Amino acid sequence: MYKFKQIFRLDLMNLLTNPMWVFYAIGFPLALILVLGFLMSGSYGHTVTSYDYYGVALMIFGIFNAATFSANSIMEERIKSPNMRIVYSPVRPFYIHFSKVLASFVFCTAAYSLVAVLLHITVGINYGGADWWAALAIMLAGNFFFASLGVTVCCLLKNEGITNNILSTLFALFAILGGLFFPIDGLGKAISAISWLSPAKWMLAACFRIIYDGDFTLLAPLIGGLALLSALSVLLGARFFRGEDYI
Amino acid sequence: MQTIIEVNGLKKSYKDKEVIHGIGFTVNEGEILCFLGPNGAGKSTTINIITGALRFDGGSISYKGESIYSDLLGYKSRLGIVPQDLALYEDLTAERNVLFFASLYGLKGEALKEGCRFALEFTGLSDKAKDKVNTFSGGMKRRLNIACAIAHKPELLIMDEPTVGIDPQSRKHILEGVKQLRKQGMTILYTTHYMEEVEEISTRIIIMDLGNIIAEGTNESLKAGAESNDASAETVSLETVFLQLTGKSLRN
Ligand SMILES: Nc1ncnc2c1ncn2[C@@H]1O[C@H](COP(=O)(O)OP(=O)(O)OP(=O)(O)O)[C@@H](O)[C@H]1O
Ligand SMILES: [Mg+2]
Repeated sequence: MYKFKQIFRLDLMNLLTNPMWVFYAIGFPLALILVLGFLMSGSYGHTVTSYDYYGVALMIFGIFNAATFSANSIMEERIKSPNMRIVYSPVRPFYIHFSKVLASFVFCTAAYSLVAVLLHITVGINYGGADWWAALAIMLAGNFFFASLGVTVCCLLKNEGITNNILSTLFALFAILGGLFFPIDGLGKAISAISWLSPAKWMLAACFRIIYDGDFTLLAPLIGGLALLSALSVLLGARFFRGEDYI
Repeated sequence: MQTIIEVNGLKKSYKDKEVIHGIGFTVNEGEILCFLGPNGAGKSTTINIITGALRFDGGSISYKGESIYSDLLGYKSRLGIVPQDLALYEDLTAERNVLFFASLYGLKGEALKEGCRFALEFTGLSDKAKDKVNTFSGGMKRRLNIACAIAHKPELLIMDEPTVGIDPQSRKHILEGVKQLRKQGMTILYTTHYMEEVEEISTRIIIMDLGNIIAEGTNESLKAGAESNDASAETVSLETVFLQLTGKSLRN
């Protein structure tokens, strides 16, 4: 545990001290939500303002990006060779990749929580009032799953660049299909049905039902599903991770 | 002298290309065993396999009579590794680097601080302890690369071309250090393609070429072997030895 703590702390510091990552995790979602919220304010009503919509939808997009941070933290060139020294040392291989998952999870959770609080204070985005914990729970489960996904895909493909390309394409598809950039339920029954193929849709629907209808029916299946997928992803990551890929 | 490591019939392939062709050797307690060979001879591959970090395709490696895989973490904790490529966190200070890597060997508290102090002092970096690595010169990074491998006082120190690309003064400092570490009881496995280094520090030499061990012995015994073929003892160098064995020069 002592050794794991050391590795975890270093992985977390590597994320926190990289200005580009900090901007990407805090400045980028903040700016995007504010800009889109402002530009689209005419197309939304008063109960759910454009800020309310994008404050949730684009946050979910941010959660997807937890995978980008974790993929980078395991294969980024800058820290690849010092990571190799960890492989030489007497630590369990599981610690090495799980630490990257956990560090990215903590990093994203801290960053997005900050963004949500800032948005709630400045433009009054609704995250469920007294039920805010449900939105937080969805974010936690999502951040963990996507952080583990990034590491697992990277361990499988052994290449950070390819991982990023594949995942970002997939996430863009998920996001559009799930209505993260604009609501697509108005586009017809068929499209609305297809959109449930996207995890984004599940997360978005779960959040909005809780926030506006006090309906928690999607919460347990969503979090249960994400937990199950996370466990699977961590196990696969352990299977695919090979220390010698650093050498 | 006790045998610490015994390697038998070691084979390694990358994809379908075999690069180590069934080599065998031992590492004995208290020696400075130098692996000498040109680029691509298979020194780093052999060494990475010995560290337990790289898999191989045939043969066996044992540590004090037991397979290194019977207690891999226990085995790894006895090693100190200086990789050929610098393995340092550029954004951290020298001290943070040493502390972090030493902690992975289980060092804590006062022992950790003491190990770090020893390693930085030994490599002449004490006054740079609080400086970030990205402000270091190449030679200083090389020295820190060594410091990170010795803070936990390993039983066997494995150094892969630790002097590559540094000035003669830093190199001298490193070579002196290696000899001192041996005096303190460490066993050292050292690879290089500089024969001057081998002549200066080795207690035993293994010459490798194209994935094979082509000669083994002390500096004197290898030269004596070459002498009988060549003219005078003065002109015989390890270069001559290598030339005689392979028909080519070590330097290209
Ligand atoms: N990851 C790898 N994939 C494919 N081939 C490799 C890999 N690493 C090494 N090789 C090949 O294995 C052979 C031995 O390489 P190795 O790095 O062990 O040599 P070396 O003696 O350390 O050389 P150098 O002095 O240049 O460091 C070379 O032919 C090299 O091309
Ligand atoms: Mg090498």
